[in-house]
Amino acid sequence: MASRRRMLLKVIILGDSGVGKTSLMNQYVNRKFSNQYKATIGADFLTKEVQFEDRQFTLQIWDTAGQERFQSLGVAFYRGADCCVLVYDVNVMKSFDNLNNWREEFLIQASPSDPENFPFVVLGNKIDVDSGNSRVVSEKKAKAWCASKGNIPYFETSAKEGFNVEAAFQCIAKNALKNEPEEDIYLPDTIDVVGRQQQRSSGCEC
Amino acid sequence: MSSDSSSTSGDEFTNPNPNPNSTSKPLEDQFASAALTEPDNEPPEIQESPNGVVNGSVSENNHGEIERNERGGAVGSNLEARQSVRWRRTNSEVEVEAPSSPSSSGYAGERGSSSGSGSSGGFEMIGGGIGGDDDEIQEVSNVDSIQDSQASWMPGKRHVDEDDASLSWRKRKKHFFILSNSGKPIYSRYGDEHKLAGFSATLQAIISFVENGGDRVKLVRAGNHQVVFLVKGPIYLVCISCTEEPYESLRGQLELIYGQMLLILTKSVNRCFEKNPKFDMTPLLGGTDVVFSSLIHSFSWNPATFLHAYTCLPLAYATRQAAGAILQDVADSGVLFAILMCKHKVISLVGAQKASLHPDDMLLLANFVMSSESFRTSESFSPICLPRYNPMAFLYAYVHYLDVDTYLMLLTTSSDAFYHLKDCRIRIEMVLLKSNVLSEVQRSMLDGGMHVEDLPTDPLPRSGTLSPHLGQPRDSPESFREPFVGIGGPAGLWHFMYRSIFLDQYVSSEFSPPINSPRKQKRLYRAYQNLYASMHDKGIGPHKTQFRRDENYVLLCWVTQDFELYAAFDPLADKAVAIKTCNRVCQWVKDVENEIFLLGASPFSW
Repeated sequence: MASRRRMLLKVIILGDSGVGKTSLMNQYVNRKFSNQYKATIGADFLTKEVQFEDRQFTLQIWDTAGQERFQSLGVAFYRGADCCVLVYDVNVMKSFDNLNNWREEFLIQASPSDPENFPFVVLGNKIDVDSGNSRVVSEKKAKAWCASKGNIPYFETSAKEGFNVEAAFQCIAKNALKNEPEEDIYLPDTIDVVGRQQQRSSGCEC
Repeated sequence: MSSDSSSTSGDEFTNPNPNPNSTSKPLEDQFASAALTEPDNEPPEIQESPNGVVNGSVSENNHGEIERNERGGAVGSNLEARQSVRWRRTNSEVEVEAPSSPSSSGYAGERGSSSGSGSSGGFEMIGGGIGGDDDEIQEVSNVDSIQDSQASWMPGKRHVDEDDASLSWRKRKKHFFILSNSGKPIYSRYGDEHKLAGFSATLQAIISFVENGGDRVKLVRAGNHQVVFLVKGPIYLVCISCTEEPYESLRGQLELIYGQMLLILTKSVNRCFEKNPKFDMTPLLGGTDVVFSSLIHSFSWNPATFLHAYTCLPLAYATRQAAGAILQDVADSGVLFAILMCKHKVISLVGAQKASLHPDDMLLLANFVMSSESFRTSESFSPICLPRYNPMAFLYAYVHYLDVDTYLMLLTTSSDAFYHLKDCRIRIEMVLLKSNVLSEVQRSMLDGGMHVEDLPTDPLPRSGTLSPHLGQPRDSPESFREPFVGIGGPAGLWHFMYRSIFLDQYVSSEFSPPINSPRKQKRLYRAYQNLYASMHDKGIGPHKTQFRRDENYVLLCWVTQDFELYAAFDPLADKAVAIKTCNRVCQWVKDVENEIFLLGASPFSW
């Protein structure tokens, strides 16, 4: 149906503050990484053009702030999202525990038409830290959680080293596409002049 | 100015028409009774307050003088308080305010009220640009080039390679955006929509954030820029402009852009968003870039965009009658509207029984047809929606060009009426050819309508028999034309527009020197637009008269129950004479109304 046209996919990135959302995005879009932490205020917006299976599309990436004080922005931000990326830090248990909250919050606020099948992707970030020695969330544990939530695709990434970032976003694009509904034919009404009480035409006004 | 002085005088000039000889009095009376001052005696009534804040739309002109007679009170301080946020002056504007020597630069004497205040020098000073399109980036050295605005305007979207990171994109004077309430771009005047996805998201975030707080963002002022927002359900429209146009004008332009979108798609798009917030509208609008860019271009040359009235091609009464008769004939056979137009001017139009057509719908429909090249090549049948008639549903338009500029539109509710309408068209075309309507149309296109040089001397003979016809040779001895060649009409009259409120129509005089370049024409329209906005300001208006003098013009506006007159004079024009001249213009319009307006059988009930 939706054949050659360029598509625009709205991707929301969620997760606790400091897990590396902005860094992942920077790595993906600009191929850059900085060790300096700068808290995102409200949201950042980036675009990235992607080629996937012969199709050209644009990712409109909404990099949101992790701090709780920005949570009120939710409804405004999440509306019409094509995909939601949940990010946690494999070295911080709390950030993993919170994934559930982020997911539920998103589903409530965005209220997608088919919440069961809404495309999420989970990223366990910062696997490079301390060569993995400070890691507290095992891959197994993360995958188990993802499986329990309807087989959410899971990626272990390092924004710093650029590891798996490209692959993760490829998957994000793929999932967002998969979820694209078959569009109905656009068919608005035609004015029904006779049906109008004023008898705008025909009728017997003479 | 006391309110009773204006209200008593108001009664006298509400209608200059019944008695031609009395028409010159009232406007003069009004100014006299309001005790308005002559320019040289008095400082401008509206001035900058110490903190650099000025009042509303009136004062964004570099006025040397503003005098007006309003219904409700003082022009001064209360306005300053109310609108201080909206109309903060920047330094560069203050500079313009200072009287500049016309000889100091090539264009100083021509600087418009709306184009002289940009912050980034060359880019914004040259508002008019070659294309007459305000937003072109122009080299300063191009200022003197004069080309025909419409002829040199290139249809379609330009600068698609730009995005919000491009310096050139950021310097454009006027941006328009359409986006969905999920932040997906739908249309951008400049640049590629997809590349602007991040920018679009930012706009949505701002709008939605304010909306979340149960509020609405209408206008943000940032330096020289105004950001105007219009929310229409799931559709967001945004204009970012440093053209100094009043907020009301910019919002009106966004309304028209939204209307143009509805004309193509109807309001049923809302249902698509209800079903699926992710809905991407751009495919539905595929190929219509040119329709929007042409509409946006018309904001700078077509006064119908702010007057909310349409204009007719000047034609002999009998000619228009002949056209109307055959249109009426087909309208009786199940056509909802039959419209014959030449470019953006109406030759005749007929609505079936009670159906009425809003001038804005006509503007949008004509723009849609004229900007879409495919209508020119063959007869077409296209679904269209008239947003003011019924925004929810489609009508069907049969469109056929009878010659290069003249086209016939037959609107119907029946999707299978093509062959019937084709037959109607053949009938109409035959009658029009036989009665020479089409050749008259061609002639009128060449001759033009009212030329200020032809303004008859005062007073006119009372009987209509001697009143001048537009068709008569323009070099007739009585004509004032000779002495005024190159400097407009009598009394320094450069141009006028007359809008008949009852008819929903306006007539605009032909442009003649010194308003002869597209840039000057656009600047004059902008000045009129500002004047219109200030006259209709909901907070401090509506007003009856306004007289303002700045380095570019004397502008005079007169609003009654029946008409609105906008006139531009030489900046040195004498006020009393200018007022007198306006009365003569009104009388002249009245004398030739048979030819310049579509009269009678007008189904308009708006």
